[in-house]
Amino acid sequence: MNISPSVVLADVHLTLTAGSGPVNILNGVSLTVGQGETLAVVGPSGSGKTTMLMLMAGLERPSSGAVRMAGADLTGMGEDELARFRRENLGIVFQAFHLIPTMTALENAALPLEFAHHPDARRLALDALEQVGLGNRAGHYPSQLSGGEQQRVALARAFAPRPRIILADEPTGNLDEDTGARVMDLLFTMQAEEKATLVMVTHDRNLAGRCDRTVVMHSGRMEDR
Amino acid sequence: MSSRDWIVALTLCRRELRGGLRGFGVFLGCLFLGVLAISAVGSLGRALEAGLASDAKAILGGDVSVSLTSRDLGPEEADYLHGFGETARILSTRTMARAGGASVLVELKGVDALYPLYGSLELEDGGDLQPLLVERGGLAGAVVDRDLLTRLGVAVGDEISVGESRFQVRGLIAREPDRVMDFFSLGPRLMVGLQGFRATGLTQAGSLFRVEHLLRLDGRDAAQTAEAIRAAYPESGWRVRDFNRAAPRISIILARLRTDLTLVGLGALLVGGLGIAGGVRGYLGGRLAHMAAMKCMGGPSRVLFVSYLAQVLFLGGVGALAGMAGGSLVPWLAERFFSEVLPIKAQGGLYFAPLIQAALFGLVTTLAFSMPPLFRAVMVSPSGIFRGYISADTGRMPRAAILPTAAAFALLAAMVFQFAGNTRLAGWFVGGTVGAWLLFKGLARAIRWLAGKAPRLPWPSWRIGVANIHRPGSPGVSLVFALGFGLTALVAVVMVNVSLTRALTAELAQEAPTFFFMDIRPDQVGDFRLLVEKEQGVTRLDMRPMIRGRIVRIAGTPVENATVSEEVSWAVRGDRGLSYSRDFPSGSTLLRGQWWDKDYSGPSLISLTSDLAEGFGVDLGDTLTVNVLGRNITGTISSIREVNWRTLAMQFAVIFSPGTLDRAPQTWLGAVYGQGEAEALFGRVTAAYPEVAVITIREVLDNAAMLMRRTAGVFQVMAGVALLVGFLVLAGAFSADQHRRIYDSVIYKVCGATRRDILSILVAEFSLAGLFTGLGSLILGTLTAWGVVQGLLKMQFTPDLSTGLLTVLAGMGISLAMGLLGTWRVLGKKASPFLRNE
Repeated sequence: MNISPSVVLADVHLTLTAGSGPVNILNGVSLTVGQGETLAVVGPSGSGKTTMLMLMAGLERPSSGAVRMAGADLTGMGEDELARFRRENLGIVFQAFHLIPTMTALENAALPLEFAHHPDARRLALDALEQVGLGNRAGHYPSQLSGGEQQRVALARAFAPRPRIILADEPTGNLDEDTGARVMDLLFTMQAEEKATLVMVTHDRNLAGRCDRTVVMHSGRMEDR
Repeated sequence: MSSRDWIVALTLCRRELRGGLRGFGVFLGCLFLGVLAISAVGSLGRALEAGLASDAKAILGGDVSVSLTSRDLGPEEADYLHGFGETARILSTRTMARAGGASVLVELKGVDALYPLYGSLELEDGGDLQPLLVERGGLAGAVVDRDLLTRLGVAVGDEISVGESRFQVRGLIAREPDRVMDFFSLGPRLMVGLQGFRATGLTQAGSLFRVEHLLRLDGRDAAQTAEAIRAAYPESGWRVRDFNRAAPRISIILARLRTDLTLVGLGALLVGGLGIAGGVRGYLGGRLAHMAAMKCMGGPSRVLFVSYLAQVLFLGGVGALAGMAGGSLVPWLAERFFSEVLPIKAQGGLYFAPLIQAALFGLVTTLAFSMPPLFRAVMVSPSGIFRGYISADTGRMPRAAILPTAAAFALLAAMVFQFAGNTRLAGWFVGGTVGAWLLFKGLARAIRWLAGKAPRLPWPSWRIGVANIHRPGSPGVSLVFALGFGLTALVAVVMVNVSLTRALTAELAQEAPTFFFMDIRPDQVGDFRLLVEKEQGVTRLDMRPMIRGRIVRIAGTPVENATVSEEVSWAVRGDRGLSYSRDFPSGSTLLRGQWWDKDYSGPSLISLTSDLAEGFGVDLGDTLTVNVLGRNITGTISSIREVNWRTLAMQFAVIFSPGTLDRAPQTWLGAVYGQGEAEALFGRVTAAYPEVAVITIREVLDNAAMLMRRTAGVFQVMAGVALLVGFLVLAGAFSADQHRRIYDSVIYKVCGATRRDILSILVAEFSLAGLFTGLGSLILGTLTAWGVVQGLLKMQFTPDLSTGLLTVLAGMGISLAMGLLGTWRVLGKKASPFLRNE
């Protein structure tokens, strides 16, 4: 049986216009990630790792090339279509957590489900919080949580809609080693349970080693390791 | 703090200010507007008062004025006055001018060759006055207000009749130097020569007219001369004034208007205080990490406090200075561009007192509103910088801030009391401000509470929008205060104006007489009554005798030394209409004492109205002495009546028992009630009795309504300033919150919100908050207006629904516009720049 790949980037270029002239961020990146596969993206700062992740999330548009996620071509979609696609198919985890400071942990976790008009949004969000060990902190605001706890809330938010693809941008970058390890254990556990595809940008070699595959970004180009 | 700490603090202050004034737009804008409003009102008031003072001699007509009613000076009295210097004489009265079947009530003035002693009467064509008034071809001349031409349907060169005489209109008055003395005139001016005035027959015994002798002194002091004249003729019944008190009524009105408008301006400044607090909060919020770091390096909190306080006060000084500069221009602008519109010529110049006062109000307001955010910021724990989330506690006020904040507000309140010069008014303002603050705070809490308790809405966008209203840091509180005060003030002013105008033009017009007739001779009363009562449409005719006199003693104390409350001071300024009667007057209620018998003939008794009794501090058994045509008459108060003056029915404050004033020279007044065909009565009476003056009450009420509308307009402008300040405060609050709002919108996008979802969240939040603010302002403003109209003025309050609807819509609209402004752009922007780590 042919299972279509989860992520397909086909000769993707991205050029941004800066004050001093155009800047080529991505120079012909091509990538395929299978369903349920875990992929680590490594490379020096400024190599285009995060930009590539933004393209996959539909938060950036390529200058040329194609981006197919979960079988859907993102390049032809409008803003609202992309938003709908994200809430139905993607979960995103950021280095800086990016929680809404004026929403509780539960409300943060429920956000994508609420935008998707899911009737059980709060219940599913609470389940996700419990899964990350924060069921008893549902009513707490981000400022009342430690960094590790905030990242776990972010994980809950990413996984609560049961997405097909998880995109993680240096999820342990702001955490200490032990906390980071615990968060990553959670991430991989949940990924395995949901059989979701994981694309993770990381500087951490050990973390990269836990993934099925690693690719290296360098000056906007990609090499398989 | 040691002197070194002060130096460190001020050095830090200087370094921080090197970064410029960015981020202080709202702070400076609010302070500028508030100080501008107060300094502009104060400066203009002073400029008008200065104009009044500098033109005082022209306004009074001389250095000293001696006026008397219905009689002229005797030869000895005249010689006495002439001994002081040059004397001009003026006669004046209200009477009817007629031409071609039309009649108009005019303010007739007869002047001699020396008029005016000071200033000049300006004619529209620029000519001289005196040549126009002389007799030519058997016809004396007159100069008139342009309004008279329109109302009589005549032109320059035409003839008009006044009393028993005819005049030719030869000029139009552009500006009359002493016209402002007749603050509330009932008709256009008609000016003739003295001889011409006499020829009208309106100076016969018993007629009501005023004689004024104006003195240009030969170097003597005016106040001392006036005092000497009063002392020389204490029983004369003259009204003697010097130019220093040229137009006391105008001065009182100007001063009161200035105080009231300044208090509204101060209210606007207090609203601006929210913007100041917000600006300080935002500024310090961006420096919390700096402060925490400096503390980690050993910087004491008190040094940081002084440093940032100095920055705030410096910026406060900048804003106040800008406001003062703007306010200082107003007298010059008024003199240059508005001299035709203002009744008194404003004297351009720099008036330091109101400018400094405004600046002080601005600085103390800055201090008061800056204390809580300053203390909060300085008390932030430095450990926060290690957590990644560093924020000042925006909840309760820190304990350490309570005393300084309270002291600053107490200072502000003390300044209000000192400035207002009226303890009651200042008390109302301070109490009202505290009450309004509590009410608005309660309203803000209520809105947040309602939002928190709102049922779970089926649409997530609206659910998030409603939930945003009660989240920590929501600008909902700022919205309520910023918009609330301005909208409440506007609603109150508009509703008071609508109620009073309706009361005047509709309700009062229904109760009031249709016409007042004046100067009916005693021998004409019988026939006059017959003529009027047979007229169709006339439902009632009241007729009463009137004798002009002045109250000269109250309970034996000369009026100059008696304590008279301000509310009834009008009764002892100049002549009053006195009357006598056998019957108890209709429309009055006997409160104390007894009305005399119909055939009473004993010692003089007086029936006094309750407001005068209270204002004079007299009661039954006390005496009142009046001077009638030079003769003092004392009566004992035997009854006190309550009178509702607002019905405009013919009422007299002082009524004598029969036998005292019956034989004094008098005229009769008539008040006619009727509708429709009663209007025809006007033509019949003026034709049969040309010397009888007729006041059409509807015209008087219309004029009063117009005056009220103009005054309300001025207050509406000030309320508009308060609203403008509110906009700025709101802009600041929303601006401070904008970054969070944009960030939230980006995360919503990441989580799958469409643009419509994000827009729905914003619309839900702002329109609901604005709706409740509008409703709250409507209720508070209506209650305030009700209190003023019904409680204070004792008139019928009529709420205005259209104002109500507009207020609510304004609240929603403004809130929505301000909230969407700036956030709108994020809908189309890329999210990635906000999410990058690198």
